Order: sequence, then C-alpha cells, then structure tokens
Amino acid sequence: MQIEREIVFPASPAEVWEALTEPERLEEWFATEVELDAQPGGIGVFRWGDGDERRAVVREAEPEERLVLDWEDEGQVVLELDEVDGGTRVRVVERSPEWSTALELHALAWVAVA
Amino acid sequence: MGRGRVEHVFDALGDPGRRSLVEAVASRGSATATELAAGLPVTRQAVAKQLAALADAGLLRSTRAGRETRYEVTPEPLGDAVAWMVDMGATWDGRLDRLGRALAKGKVAR
Repeated sequence: MQIEREIVFPASPAEVWEALTEPERLEEWFATEVELDAQPGGIGVFRWGDGDERRAVVREAEPEERLVLDWEDEGQVVLELDEVDGGTRVRVVERSPEWSTALELHALAWVAVA
Repeated sequence: MGRGRVEHVFDALGDPGRRSLVEAVASRGSATATELAAGLPVTRQAVAKQLAALADAGLLRSTRAGRETRYEVTPEPLGDAVAWMVDMGATWDGRLDRLGRALAKGKVAR
C-alpha cells in the first residue's frame, strides 16, 4: 500500500534538498521538532505538536536527488528530486508494507464480485 | 488506526488455501462450508475451520442458515487500508503545501 504525490516547486534542487534534510527547515513543514542526520545509516527523530513521535533510519541519501527513510514502526518514505523547467519536481512515495496482502485481496474480491 | 487488526488480517491471509477460500466466497456472494468443500479436495470440517479463522480476522461475516453457517466477505478490514491511504494522502498534501511556502520564504530571506 502506498501513496504518491508529485509537485514542482520554483526552487533549485539544492534549495529543496536543504528543506528536506536540514532539521530547522524540516521544522517549517514536516514536523514540530526534528533531529536528522541525513546520511546513510543516520537517525531521524520527528515530533509533532500532538505528542506523536516517529523515528527513522536514513536508508539512502543522494544529495539533491534522492532521500529514503525507513520508519522504525514499519514503512518507508522515498523523496526524489528532479531539476525541471522552472524549478524542481519532488516525488513523494510513502509505503506501508502491512497493507499489501489486504489490497491484493481487495482487487481480487472486487473483480470476483463484479 | 487498527494496527492489531490489520496484523490479524495479514496472518489470516498468509495461507494460500485461506486466500482462495476468501476468493471463492467473494465470487459466490455468500457460501457455506458444504458448498465450498464440494469443489475442493478437502473435508467440509477442514473448510469450516478455515472459514471460522477468516471470520475471526474480520474478513468474513457469518450468519446462521438452518444447521449451517453462511459466510460473506466483509470489506471492513480493507476499509482500514483505504483509511490509511486517505489520511496519509491528506498529511502529505498539507506537508507539501507548507514546504512550498517554506521554500518561497527561504528565497526571500536569501
């Protein structure tokens, strides 16, 4: 199971990369309190105002190209950057592996019922 | 977000035999162990046991039909997966919106 989003920002890949990896910048949009060591094997700790906390390990970090975080409580976020006319395209994929079987069944059940 | 329940569903569907039973029930709309066993090289008792496990996991809903139990597929555990998708999608829409504003602000400051 996964969700995907794609959006172009009028900013350079370097600016976007900074916003994705610098804790102070991440606190402007991702979470309330952020600790992140943006290199492979680095640890990320994200806290939100409602008391929620999620931890992650950096699986991949290709500056200005690709950042992959493995959530400690399962799941993964992949952020990919591409320089395009007028800025940088950001592609986000968030995956939750625990749903995959249920989803296959969902497709199967609907096909069968239809 | 019903995490325990989802794991339960996952376990219940880990077995190919149980998955094919769910498929068989879904394709018939509803079915009893006797009806399903008729087309399979297994006993009615074995099918009944698997159907009960699937009902426990919330994948099938059971109703009594005379001396037999009739099952149908319930979409609810799958509804949890859909809820995750909707929540996570909305979360990212909000984040990307804020990221866009943070990038615009960063530019001004530079």
